[in-house]
Amino acid sequence: MAAPMELSCWGGGWGLPSLHPESLIVMAYAKFSGAPLTVNTIGNSWRAPKGDVPVLISEDTVISQPAKILSFLRKQKYNADYELSAKQGADTLAYIALLEEKLCPALLHTFWVEAENYCSVTKPWFASRIAFPLRLYLPGKMSREALNRILLTKGGPPLYSLTEVEAQIYRDAKECLNLLSKRLGTSQFFFGDTPTTLDAFVFGFLAPIYKVCFPRVQLQEHLKQLPNLCRFCDDILICYFRLTVAGHSPAGQNTADANLQKLTQLVNKESNLIEKMDDNLRKSPQHPPRKLTTLKLAAGGEEISPLNRLSP
Amino acid sequence: AAEPWPENAALYQQLKEEQILLSDNASSLAVQAFLQMCNLPVRVVCRANAEYMSPSGKVPFIHVGNQVVSELGPIVQFVKAKGHSLSDGLDEVQKAEMKAYMELVNNMLLTAELYLQWCDDVTVEEITHPRYGSPYPWPLNRILSYQKQWEVRRKMKAIGWAGKTLEQVLEDVDQCCNALSQRLGTQPYFFNKQPTELDALVFGHLFTILTTQLITDELSEKVKNYSNLTAFCRRIEQQYFEVHDKDSSTTVVGRSAKRSLLR
Repeated sequence: MAAPMELSCWGGGWGLPSLHPESLIVMAYAKFSGAPLTVNTIGNSWRAPKGDVPVLISEDTVISQPAKILSFLRKQKYNADYELSAKQGADTLAYIALLEEKLCPALLHTFWVEAENYCSVTKPWFASRIAFPLRLYLPGKMSREALNRILLTKGGPPLYSLTEVEAQIYRDAKECLNLLSKRLGTSQFFFGDTPTTLDAFVFGFLAPIYKVCFPRVQLQEHLKQLPNLCRFCDDILICYFRLTVAGHSPAGQNTADANLQKLTQLVNKESNLIEKMDDNLRKSPQHPPRKLTTLKLAAGGEEISPLNRLSP
Repeated sequence: AAEPWPENAALYQQLKEEQILLSDNASSLAVQAFLQMCNLPVRVVCRANAEYMSPSGKVPFIHVGNQVVSELGPIVQFVKAKGHSLSDGLDEVQKAEMKAYMELVNNMLLTAELYLQWCDDVTVEEITHPRYGSPYPWPLNRILSYQKQWEVRRKMKAIGWAGKTLEQVLEDVDQCCNALSQRLGTQPYFFNKQPTELDALVFGHLFTILTTQLITDELSEKVKNYSNLTAFCRRIEQQYFEVHDKDSSTTVVGRSAKRSLLR
């Protein structure tokens, strides 16, 4: 039906197909709507990511922002919102606006601005996926852009210092998470039983917060107190991305198990051996070490053995 | 449950006839509508330096007793602390929806208004620069106006709107109005019987778009496409603002009779 489509985006880790929220949104939407998308994760090659990531390439068209990519997919008849009423479509737009206003700044802050998180997790991860020498520059640039965006949109008076802005954006983000949790309630997805655009957006923003292990995790802790949102993320990962909660695909899980078993057996054997040696040493402290018996044989005579015992 | 609302509460905005811009007028009207809906009287005071007086740099702000609060969000919370609230009757899911729609209006409509008046060169030259600096002598008027333009353009760049063309911005406005129209449907207000702060905010923006003359009518045409939205604006204007037009000279809405929607 459609030309082959290729999506170029950041790769994954910690059990996620991608760490980048916008890339995740597009990947999730493609899964929900059944669009055949070949995903190329940006790797350590000389082809630097052009422009904004994610980028969809289909024949000659190159499209770059998630909203535009999604509308392109819809035009290609891969529509996940087919069964939504007009009012639900309106709700989708409104909730997406809420996510972008309230949750996105805190997400950007956790990934790119919070010094400990940035230095220990984000920068090494992204740097390992960008070719040298761009990897020395690009993560820094992304971090500066994130800080800029936060300060320009949220940092006006009466908030004068970065700490006050941080406090405000995390308050907003927690409130947003609470609102999402109330809206989701006990249903599986936001509009009934089939996932839609809104589910893709919520998943794209929530999953990185939920899964990536940062040193400073106040948002993750808050999210973990909202079990329906956690269940929502896990469901999508298991059903649509075929990843178990631990982050391995089922085939991989088996080999991991087998390896683990072998390792445990080896460790057990080793510990048994060590125990035996300990027992032997305890029972016979006068027993000379093996290498000294050879010397004894060479030197000949019993008077040499006391001298031998003194050697370490 | 709370302190009484003082008689001399005042709302400050820029000069109505010469200085105020589209986005500021929309925000100011939204706050006025909200206070009217809560039945809290406030008089509108126009000052050329309202933006600098405001604690957050944005208009409008209200001066109640000895407190000064600016922007709709904080004002709603302030009024709630005083014991008046329009959204108490909503359940949790509805409150979430209301907040989401308010963000939609801020995210799309307000940003589109800012784009139009500060990033579209024709509008900037012919309307914004003359109006924004009008109370000040040359060269201060140009300097202030360029400074503000630079600030707004930086913000647009940070959120990714700088690359948009006017057509794309108008399309976003259309999408937003479509969403609002769908949500409103045939009800009198967004949450059926009672108006809430969402109604005030939507009224403020849509009424201003419909009644402000710009270079082209494209923006107001987008809103006029949705008849239930224009009917909504007319209804709120009639219910909450017409009363004042009769007696006092400080007309709350619009500048002269031709501003009324009942044209």
